[in-house]
Order: sequence, then structure tokens, then C-alpha cells
Amino acid sequence: MSTYRLERRLEVDTKKQALTRVAGALIAMAVAGLVLLLTGRNSFKILFDGLEAIFGSQRGLEGVALRAIPILMTALAVALSLRMKIWNIGSGGQFLMGAFAALGVGIHVNGPGWLVLILMALAALVAGSLWILVPALARAYWDVNEIITTLLLNFVAAQLVTWASIGFWRDTEAAVIQSTKRVPYRLAELPGTDSLTIALLVPFVIALVLFWIFRSTTIGFEIDTIGGNARAAAFAGINVRRRILLVMLCTGAIAGLGGMLQLSAPGARQLGPGYEAQFGLTGFIVAALAGGAMMGVLVGGTFIASMFFAGLVLQTKGLSVYIIFGIYGLILTGVALGEMAARYRLVRVGDAVSSERVAS
Amino acid sequence: MIEPDHSYAVEARGISKYFGGVAALDGVDFKVHWGEVHALLGENGAGKTTLSNILAGIYRADSGEIAVDGLTHEVRTPAQAIEAGIGMVHQHFKLVETMTVAENVHLGWPDTPTLVSQRVLVDRTNHLMEEIGLHVDPTAKVWQLSVGEQQRVEILRVLARGAQILILDEPTAVLTSHEARDLFKVMRDLVSGGRTVIFISHKLNEVLEVSDQITVLRDGVHEVTRSAEGATPRELARLMTGEERTLEVEHREITGETVLQLEGVTASNDRGVVALSSVDLVARSGEILGIAGVSGNGQTELAEVISAMRRVDGGTITVDGEDVANGLVRKVTDLGVGHIPEDRIGVGIVGSASVKDNAVLRHYWTEGLSSGVTLFRQAVVDFATRLVEVARVQTRSITATAGQMSGGNQQRLVARREALLATRVLIAVHPTRGLDVLAAQEVQTAVIGQRDRGAAVLFISDDLDEVLLMSDRIAVMYEGRIMGIFDRVDADREAIGLMMGGHTLEEAMAK
Amino acid sequence: MTFALIENGFLSLISSAIPASTVVVLAALGCLVGERVGVLNLGQEGLIGIGGVYAVIAVVTWGVGSPWVALAIGMAAAGIAGLMFAVAVVVFRASQVLVGLALALGGIGLSNQLGTNRNGVQVRTQFSEFSLGGSLVDGGVREALFAHDPMVYVAYVLLPLTLWFILFRTRHGMNMRAVGENPAAADAVGVSVTWSRIGYSVLGAAISGAGGAYMVLSFTPTWSPDIARGRGWVALAVVIFAGWRPVRAVFGALLYGTMFSLGLTAQARGWGFLFNATDLAFFLSMLPFLVTLAAILLPAGAAKIGKRVRSTAAPAALAIPYSREER
Repeated sequence: MSTYRLERRLEVDTKKQALTRVAGALIAMAVAGLVLLLTGRNSFKILFDGLEAIFGSQRGLEGVALRAIPILMTALAVALSLRMKIWNIGSGGQFLMGAFAALGVGIHVNGPGWLVLILMALAALVAGSLWILVPALARAYWDVNEIITTLLLNFVAAQLVTWASIGFWRDTEAAVIQSTKRVPYRLAELPGTDSLTIALLVPFVIALVLFWIFRSTTIGFEIDTIGGNARAAAFAGINVRRRILLVMLCTGAIAGLGGMLQLSAPGARQLGPGYEAQFGLTGFIVAALAGGAMMGVLVGGTFIASMFFAGLVLQTKGLSVYIIFGIYGLILTGVALGEMAARYRLVRVGDAVSSERVAS
Repeated sequence: MIEPDHSYAVEARGISKYFGGVAALDGVDFKVHWGEVHALLGENGAGKTTLSNILAGIYRADSGEIAVDGLTHEVRTPAQAIEAGIGMVHQHFKLVETMTVAENVHLGWPDTPTLVSQRVLVDRTNHLMEEIGLHVDPTAKVWQLSVGEQQRVEILRVLARGAQILILDEPTAVLTSHEARDLFKVMRDLVSGGRTVIFISHKLNEVLEVSDQITVLRDGVHEVTRSAEGATPRELARLMTGEERTLEVEHREITGETVLQLEGVTASNDRGVVALSSVDLVARSGEILGIAGVSGNGQTELAEVISAMRRVDGGTITVDGEDVANGLVRKVTDLGVGHIPEDRIGVGIVGSASVKDNAVLRHYWTEGLSSGVTLFRQAVVDFATRLVEVARVQTRSITATAGQMSGGNQQRLVARREALLATRVLIAVHPTRGLDVLAAQEVQTAVIGQRDRGAAVLFISDDLDEVLLMSDRIAVMYEGRIMGIFDRVDADREAIGLMMGGHTLEEAMAK
Repeated sequence: MTFALIENGFLSLISSAIPASTVVVLAALGCLVGERVGVLNLGQEGLIGIGGVYAVIAVVTWGVGSPWVALAIGMAAAGIAGLMFAVAVVVFRASQVLVGLALALGGIGLSNQLGTNRNGVQVRTQFSEFSLGGSLVDGGVREALFAHDPMVYVAYVLLPLTLWFILFRTRHGMNMRAVGENPAAADAVGVSVTWSRIGYSVLGAAISGAGGAYMVLSFTPTWSPDIARGRGWVALAVVIFAGWRPVRAVFGALLYGTMFSLGLTAQARGWGFLFNATDLAFFLSMLPFLVTLAAILLPAGAAKIGKRVRSTAAPAALAIPYSREER
């Protein structure tokens, strides 16, 4: 008789870990489907309805792409910080502040459309990084953990936007209360589409740039080194505090730009309560799923955006958006457990073969 | 029914233990009588600590059984081990630093009253100390204690729980020779009272001094158990390593120019306590300056201030005349200073990064490896390939993560990388700690090679024998001060030992 | 005259701040219990939601007539969620941050979903006022301090003192603190790290759930989606501010509640200084979060600037998984 037990590996294979993470997410989704079945919902029908909503028409695909933009932007922001083992849970707030600043420029500055749009983008970049400035300084120079500080500011941003939409930037002409004035400028449309603008290109460009930075540059090397072992980074002469500040400001800027892109989406161009629509947390899940790999973010983000979109469409058929959050929670748990699973293997006790020595 | 055989305090039969499919212990038998100090001897990695952790219930054996006083016991948790009368004092103390001595003594102890207050605990602790004859301030927080005092708390705690069999895992590694003598006296007292002490060490002289019986482990296999009577260090060394190896170090007269100079250097440790006070040192080209001292007397901080990883509060440090105190790590590296850090894997290696990235970790920004913005990938690969070859690092490939290599290979990588950078100064902090004899000699050879190429070497070790072997001159450190500096020929082992324990040069010479 | 006005304003502020902070007090004590043994549960928002929605279900659907029973049901539901969290992070050693966020998200989703048909429904079983002090103290002070429902006294007095007593005056509490500080040391002397971490994660989750149940059984008292509205995150911050000490956590939470009530009071009374009344109300609604942020930043900053080497009060092993055979 042989007994089996779990044994911790001495080392973790990062590729294997990527696989187990995705496997964990897929198992979590299967569990979610099962729960839906057990609570009397036909999860297969939901799945097919969802697929039809997406692939059934060009509108469906464009709808996914439209949702993918903000999700990819926040996901890229979080993925960048994760490379340094920093948890930016406030990307939702930075996203909102980016939109807020862009809106301020858009409704107050008159000029050629392209110029105002560039100014809006700049304002969004600055606002996003300003919104994370205090947590970043506190983390870099006072060693205050960033999780709660970044998150608290999400609520402040949400209140500020509500204030703007009911108060100082309220759209006084429209009958609708609780929304701001509209930005009169729009981004160039992508040819051959009904609703997409060049905003769709931005996350892909950023992902490529980040990919290149981590593949080929010294600064990417430094960020990964800090993420891997901050003490070793200091030993290598890297100014860890300054790098933390830089990366956190950049992650805020990317999330902020995401807010501006969303603001430029057709049909939007104004702010109101609920504007952020959990893009921050959704992006966080994508980044966790991708484990900080930029190309993985693009794939995972598109996938989650499809789910998000299908969920929105299916809301009209009685599936609540809350269930989507429940499923997100399950996926995140699946990712966390999957990440751990790669660290263990099943061994038969007394069945060792290698003759390699172990230092005790 | 068979009457249990009470003659053995501990009888472990056929113990095997695997980590990651690798055998740390392979069918080991280990028998210890009552009333003896039994040394467990072996090189790093021989399985001493693993075996004692199994006896103490920290690890579970994959096979084999353990009998205490003739009765087979399930020793699967530390609680069961304590129940069976086995108590262990770990090499890394298992004390809660933020709690008081009294609290630590009473942790997890069923005899502790349900309701506790500091006063009750202190009273009880005083009482225990009286009974057992070991004394530490019960109201002190553990982090305020010296290492020797912390060890006493550990021993007190184990004995208070009625342990009859005491396992001491490398207890002298962190002690001054004076403190070690005190410990040996405690050990003898315990066995004369009928208890048993299992003493783990790789220091042969100590083992011969204090033990009754000696068991040698090698590569996870039981090699021999014999009486300490009549055993010689030479014979034991051969049993431990399987062969005789000695390193011959050639020492020449030093004529080189001054490379590294410290004047009045003062610095604090991470807690803000003074770790270096007014240190003056000079190291010349082509010499090994050994720093002898018990761990924790400022050696780590000394190495760190020179490589600019720690700020100095006062004084100057120059490398080839250039002031480097409170400068940038990169500037120091550019001047040709290499540093084999004490915690090589914790500070010198990024486990999640590839072997090639680790190869260039300390100079990736330099000309030839980068343009300032981008890394030259081919140049990095070339350098890493060369380093892996000269360091004889075994790895699947240079793109595999460094964490996948064994600890020994990681250490070799760091040691050689730093030696290559150290064209002018090499700081080696406990560079052979945790290595087996062969690997240790490789590192020592690399250090000597760098000296012969004209570098000034600062060789820091708490193993006095190693310092005496390697150094051309020897400085003794105690509580952040240099107690004295000897030329190799004048070095008196006894005097250095006393100075490591805080005696001044005059006092040491007088004794 | 002016003095009386200020005093009245102050007392009425306290009187409304106390119930407003109760949720945060309970959630903060819930976090603290887990963190003391080294488990960081970021899922407080979810736990508050779950505790709340099950208390609503108990009353509205199951017809429970006693607020205490409804409270127990809410706590049990949150405790079960805490058990699932603990199994993932303690037994399987998954990342506490990731699983905690998953619990926050999933808990909000689950509670909102379960509450869908109960939005705005009045919760008829409620805690009723339980006056202390009788005629000993006069009107204003009595209103402010001694005229609340019994859960307020539990949250502000009974629970923190009990936790303080257990943690700092019992053998068991001493062992638990050791698990949070140095699990290897606790393990070596026979304290089960796994069981204490699981046990206190569950207990902590149940206490946080009690916060949610309190909201629907007394504070609101109806169900509305996203019931926690950031209070769970504030609770996590309060624990840091309080230096992981139960009694101090009460004052940290009160700080939040005072800011919160300030906003409500300003809105209700149409105060307007600096801004007009609407704008002031919005400004004040951001204040609880900003003040909470400041409360964790300032002590850290003061310590750094004062060049004091901070002995961080955080349990040393917080959020670090423990494995005995870790090498």
C-alpha cells in the first residue's frame, strides 16, 4: 500500500503557474454555472444567449470592444503595479478622476477638437496620477501599505463625481437630473464600425509599450527586480523608493487615461453616478488572472469584457448584474487557489528517486 | 508481554525523510542512552537538523519509528514530543520577540494559569529560574536580550515543561567562547541529574570537549556511533566528509598600496541602535583582512556601510582615495567593490528572475550591458554563460529562474559574481556558511584568487579557525568596535577568543 | 447662549454618531480578531452585506420575531463565509489579498442578489431602545450616551472589553497573539496555528457580519443594495489606526461616525458655510473617507519624520501563510 500526500515544491515554475491560474478560473466558472443550475436557472441557456448576444451581430462584438477599453486600461494599470508586487486597488478612483478632469477640460475649453481632446487626455493622465500621489508617497517614503489607502480614495472620487453631476457641472438643459454637461468633442471613428473610435487602439498600444519595457529595458528590469526581491534591488543600487513612486504614478495615469477614453465613447461624453461601473475591480481581476503579463491582460481582459457585456445584455432577461459580481468573486478565488496549486505536487511517500542533496 | 527496554532515552529506527523527492534522511538509526551528552555531528546538509526536527515533532518522518524510554511514541506534533519528554532548542530561536521573557516561557504551556497577568507570569518565571538555576530578567522583551540570554529562555522553557531529553541545535554558533563554556556547564549539570542532551554541532573541538557519545551523519545516512573517548578531530572530520581535504593558503608579505580606508566610522543598525562606533580600518591591495567576532557585533553593518547599503552617522570611507560613505551603491560598484552578502539568497538573488538576469544584477547598467535605456540581451547572455561556467553553477539553462537552482548553486553564483566585480575590494561576509566542504573550498579559492589579482579582501566570519586560515591580518570586532588588529604571525588564538568576548587587548594578553 | 448651542449641537452629533459608527466598530473588531492571529480578511464589505441580507431574510421571509435571533442568523451566515475564506487561505495557503477581495466582491454580489426582492422593505423586527442611567443624567447627555439600543452597548463596551480581556489577560489570548506574531514559535510550543487561525477567522467574520445585521435591524432599518458603502474598508483602516488594540478601535470608528453624521446633520439642517448647502453636504460626504485616510497616514508620517524607529504594532505574521515544513 502506498500513501500519497501533498508536498511543497522547492521551486515554482512560472509557466505552470499561469496554467493553473487559468485552470482555477475555468473551474470557478464551472462551479458558478453549477450554482446557477441548482438555483433553477438554465446555465446552458444563459451561456448560449450570452454567446449569441456577443457573436450574433456586429453590434454585439462592438459592444464587447466598447466594454473592453476601460477594463483593459484599468487591468494594464493594475498589472503594471503587480509587477512590483504593489496592489493598486484604487484604479477605479483614478479612472473616475481621469474622466472628471477630462470632462472639466472638455466643457470649459473651446478650440479645435483634436487639440481639446489631447488636452483632455493630458488632464486625465495628470489627474489619475495625482489621485494616487498620496498613497504612492506614503508607500514609498513612509512604508504605509497601499491597499487600503488607494481603496478609500475610490469612495471619495465617487462622491466627487456625484457632486459634479448633481451640483457644479450639472447639465441644466437636459431633463435628466444627475448627469453632467456633455463634452462636445469626439474621437475619430474607426472605419467600418458603427460605434468604435480610435480609443480602442490605445490599450493595445499601451500593452505593447509595457511589454517592450519589461522585455528590453533597464527600467523594466528594475521594476521586476523590485517585485521579485526588494532587498536585492537595493543591493543592485536601484533607488527602490523612487521607482515605487514612479510606477504608482504611472499606474494612476493609465487608469486615468482609461477614464478619458470611456468619456469619449459614443453615447457617453458625460459623467454621472455609477459611471465607473466597477471597471476598477474588474480590471483587478483581469490583472490577477494574467499574473502581470501584459499580453495575458489583453486576452484575459477581452474574455472578461465579453462576460461583462453578456451580463449586461442578459440583465434584460432576468439575470442580475449582481450575479456577475458573485461570479467574479468565484473566479478570483479560483485564481488564488490555482496560483497555490502550482506550488504543490502529489508524491507517493517513500518514493523518492533523486540523489540530489538538500541543505538542511 | 515484553517489558519495555528502559536503557535508551531515545531510539529512532529507520527514519527517512524526503524534501521535493530528495532524501534528507535515508533509513537512519539513532540511539541515545539516559544521562549522556550525545553529539550529532555532520556537515551542513547531512541531515542533523532534519533528524532533530523529526524527534521534536516539527517534521513528520516519511518512514521509521521513534521510541522514548523503550515505548514507541507517535511524535507527529511538537505537543506530542513535549508529552514524550523531548524538548528542542532551535538554532533559530522560536521566541516571540515582542513578548516578555515571562510570556515566552509560558506560551502554549498547559500549566500556565487560565488567567494571566504580567505579575503572575513574572512570579512564576522567577520561581522556575530559581528551581532550574538559569537566570534572565523575566520582564524584558525578548528583542532586548542578547543571543545568549535568548538561548537561556529557550532552555528554561523546555526544561520547565519537564523535558528529560533536550535537543540543542547548533547552540554555540551564536555564542562567544565564554558563553559557550557556560552552556557546556549547564549541559553537564543536566546530564548529571539524569537527563539526556542531544548536542548538534559541526565544530569538532567542542564536540570532543563536552560529549560522551558521538553519532556522525553523512548525506542523510548514519555513519557511525562511538564513544568520545579516544576520538580525534582528524578521524571525525574524515567520517563527516568521507575524505580528507585541507586547503593550503599561501601567505606572502604585503607590499600593496592602501585601497580601502575607514576612519572613525559610526553607524546604527535597523533598530536605530549604534552598531559601529568609531571604526578605523585599512585594507591594502593583495591582502586578506580577516574580521573575527561573534555574529551580531557589527560585522553585517560594517560590510553594508562600505558598499553604501547603509548610511554612516559619522566618519569617512574611501576606496582608492574616493569618498564613498553615504554614496550611491552604483558608484561603489563602479569603483570595483564586490560584496558577498551575509544573506546571499535573501539579498543577493532574485529567485523569481532568470539566472541570466541574476548574473548581471549588480552591473546591468554598465557600458557593454546596456545603452542606458535598453539592455543588450546578447551581451547579458554572453556574460551569464561565462559566469555560470566559471562558477560551475548547475542549472537547466540560463533562462530558468534562479529559485529553481539548489541553495548551493545560488550561493556559488553570488560568490563568483561578486568576485568578478571586485577588482579593488571584495567584502565577503560569512561566505562559506551553509556550504559543504567542497563548495566552501571553491569559494575560499575564489577569494584567494581575487586577493592574488590585487584586490583588498575583507573576510568576515564567525568561525575563528576559518579566519585564522584565510587571513593575512586579523581584526577582532566586539559590540561595533575594533578590539585589536593582529598580523597573522602574531595571532594568538586564545587572546582573539577573549577579545571576541569583549576583553581588551591588554586584558587578553595578560591572561 | 452660544455655548448652549454648541453644546446642543455637539451632543446631538454624538447622539447620531454613535449608532452610525456601530457598524464600523463591529466590523473593525471583526477584522482585529482575525488579524491578531495573522489573518487579513479584506472581504469586510462582503461580510457586512452577507450578515445584513441574512438578517433581513430571517425577519422578512422566515418571520423571525426576535432581533437577537435575526442577528444570530446574520452572524452565522457571515461566519460560514469566513470559514470558506479561512479554508482557502489557511489550509490551502492561497493569497489572503486575492481571496479577501474575492470575498468582498462575491459577498456584495451575493447579498445584493438575495436582497433583490427585498429592496426598501421595512424590517419590522428591530432592536428597541434600551435606556441606561435612568434619571441619573439629564436630557442632552442621556440622549447622546445612554439612550441607544442594546447592540450599541455590546459593540462599544462589552465586546471591546471582552476582547481586550481575552487577548491580554488570558493564557489563551497570549497564545493567540503569539500565533499572529510568530506562528513558528507558537507551533513549536504546541499551539495549533491552523486551528487558531481558522477559528478566529470564523469568529471575526461573524462579528463583522453582526455589523451588517445591526444596520438592517436598527440603523436603516431596511435593506438596500450595497449596504456597506465603504464601511468595511473604513473598518480595515480603523484597525491600523487603532494599532490593533480593541478599545482604541472604538474611538477610531467613532471618528468615522462623527464625520458621517456631520454630513447628515448639515444636510438636514441646511447648513452652509464656505459652500452653499448642497455643495457642503457633498463635501462633507467625502470627509469620513478622507479623515480615515489621514488617520492612518499621519501616525506613520509622524513616526518617520520624527526619525523614531517605529515598532509597528501590526502582528508580525499578518497576511503571511504558515507552513510548518516551509524551508
